[in-house]
This record gives sequence, C-alpha cells and structure tokens, in this order.
Amino acid sequence: MATTAERVRQLVADNLEVDGQPVAVPADLSVSLTDVGVPSMDFVAFAKVLVREFDVPLTPDDCAGFSSLKDLAAYIDAQAA
Amino acid sequence: MLRSSAVGWWWRPFTEVAEAAVFLIDLAPDAAHEARALEWLSVTERARSRRFVHAGPRRRFTLCRGALRAILCHRLGCDSQRLTFGTSSHGKPFARVDDMPEPISFNVSHGRSHGLIAVAPRGRLGVDIEERRAREDLEDLADAVLGPNEKREFGLLRGDARTQFFFRMWTLKEALMKALGLGFSLDPAEFEVPIAVRRGATTGTFRFPDRPRVLWRVDDLGTEDFAAALALEPIPDRCGSSDG
Ligand SMILES: CC(C)(COP(=O)(O)OP(=O)(O)OC[C@H]1O[C@@H](n2cnc3c(N)ncnc32)[C@H](O)[C@@H]1OP(=O)(O)O)[C@@H](O)C(=O)NCCC(=O)NCCS
Repeated sequence: MATTAERVRQLVADNLEVDGQPVAVPADLSVSLTDVGVPSMDFVAFAKVLVREFDVPLTPDDCAGFSSLKDLAAYIDAQAA
Repeated sequence: MLRSSAVGWWWRPFTEVAEAAVFLIDLAPDAAHEARALEWLSVTERARSRRFVHAGPRRRFTLCRGALRAILCHRLGCDSQRLTFGTSSHGKPFARVDDMPEPISFNVSHGRSHGLIAVAPRGRLGVDIEERRAREDLEDLADAVLGPNEKREFGLLRGDARTQFFFRMWTLKEALMKALGLGFSLDPAEFEVPIAVRRGATTGTFRFPDRPRVLWRVDDLGTEDFAAALALEPIPDRCGSSDG
C-alpha cells in the first residue's frame, strides 16, 4: 500500500504541469509547489484533487499554511487518523 | 543606478492608477534579457533562480526580479547592490536600502508571457495577472474561490463569457489578497468582488467583511491578451489608520 507521501507525489506527477512538462518533486517532498513554479490557480485546483483522493477537508487557505508538500502529506495523515 | 544598454528593457509603463504606476513585463524567452537581469540579482536571488527545475518559472522570476530592481532603484535613487528585500510573515516582499526598510509600496505578478509590477510611494497594493484559457477544472476552481453571489452569476454564464468572468473575479480577488499581504492564507470565497465591478465596471471600492476600516480601490486592468487587476489602499491621511 503506497504511503500518503508516495500518493501525493504521484498525484503531482499525474495532475500538474509547468509549461506543458510534468512536474517532478523529490521523494522526500521537501519543496512547496510555489518553489517548483506551479502558479496559484493550478495549486488551488490541485487542492480539489487532493480532497477527492483523500476525502479530507482542504481549502486553499489550508494549503497556504504548508511550507512544503511534506507538511501537506503530514496534514492529510493527521486528518485521516 | 542601472544604465541603459543595447540589450534594451523588457518592461514598459502600462498604466497609472491614482499614485500607482503599473509596468508590463515581457516574459518571452530572451537570453540577453535574462543574462542582464541575472547580473542585477543578489547572490540569494541568483541561488533562488538556479533552484527552479523548469526553465519557464526560472526565466519569469529572473526577468520580473530584474525589472523590479531597476524600477525601484530608479525611484529610490540607489544602486542595485544597496537594495535588498525582506518578506512579511506571509511572504510579501518589501524593500530595504542599506538595510533600512523603505515605505515604497510594490507588488509583482507573473503570468506565462507577461508580468505586472505595480509601485506607489505609499499605501499597500496588490496586483495579479493571468492569461485566460479554457480549463476543464473551471467548475472546481469557481467552487473553491467564488462567494455565493459570484457562484450564482458564474452559473448563469456559458462558454467564453464564463471563462472571462472567472478570470476577472480571480485576478480581482488575488490582487486584494496580495494587497493585504496574506495571499491564499485568506479564503477567497469569504469575500466578494463589489457588485458593480462584477457587472463590468472597471473600477470600484471594496471593504473586507472582517476588516471594514479600509476602503480599498480595485481596478480591472484586463486586456485582450490577459486578465489583470490592481488593488490599492488609498493614501491614509494623518489621522487615517491602516490596520485593515
Ligand atoms: C503568494 C501568492 C498569492 C502568489 O500567487 P501566484 O498567482 O502563484 O503568483 P503571482 O505571480 O501572482 O505573484 C507572485 C509574487 O507575489 C509576491 N508575493 C509573495 N507572497 C506574497 C504575499 N503574501 N502577498 C503579496 N504578494 C506576495 C512575490 O513578489 C511573488 O513574486 P516573486 O516570488 O517572484 O518575488 C500565492 O502563491 C500564495 O498565497 N502562496 C502561499 C502558499 C504556498 O506557497 N503554499 C505551498 C504549499 S505546498
């Protein structure tokens, strides 16, 4: 069973692109989507993808509080616990 | 001060709103522009530029930051080396000269091919630019960022008008959120663009429901090429407050 971090990484790869190229993030999710160059509109749409995938509450302002995707994955785990 | 050269500038005056000047930045690939901008960046900014994995975001950051340095240095009458940037708790940059904070107000936004920089002597401001495109996830986005009346109006529109409306609302809201300095730490669905502006007026006034003391000015700066907006805090008088 894939961990939340692995699933988030896969969802980034499947759903986000920058200038038509898939977005690759490091396995430890130590970057934020803003660092990678994902604009805020794509980032808000991605929050909706995460809500559907993990069935957790997640608004754009929740996401703004995370300094990296790692924090985001930890939040999802905490909500699901 | 930054001297002109054969390379030319990649920004130009776009419009003026009250005391704010707005510049349009050309973000098209141009090796000479990028090299010139990079020369003006600080060591930290160059390191940030290098960290971008994708060439597009790297170029947009570099060209906007270079233009921002040139515009601010011109207004502040200083060399680029003396100018540094601090950030507020939510990441909004502010200018320092010789390590002393400057009251000058500015904000930056990068779209895909164009950026905007707004600058004013005082008063908080925010700017946003987005190149419009039909998106499959427009419903999801509208659901996340529009307030109840905005959603109802969005629901009545179809096709291109729907896309236009959404991008107008998005840029107006993001300009306000950036003016306040909170970015997406503020829930965009919890406030609505003034009704006259929703119906097409290009300028209007606005109060955040939970911060009603400041009357903000909002301007739709959209063109055929992009949606864009500016939010501006009127210059407070001597008794005025800016706690909003
Ligand atoms: C800041 C934010 C509003 C920018 O949105 P965007 O549409 O992607 O970007 P724009 O091009 O319009 O604006 C970017 C510029 O806004 C400025 N900015 C950054 N934070 C800001 C803030 N809190 N308020 C106002 N302006 C801000 C910066 O100048 C930035 O450009 P620079 O980094 O090249 O200097 C939005 O990304 C945000 O709220 N981010 C924080 C959340 C976050 O990054 N979460 C990651 C979780 S994984």
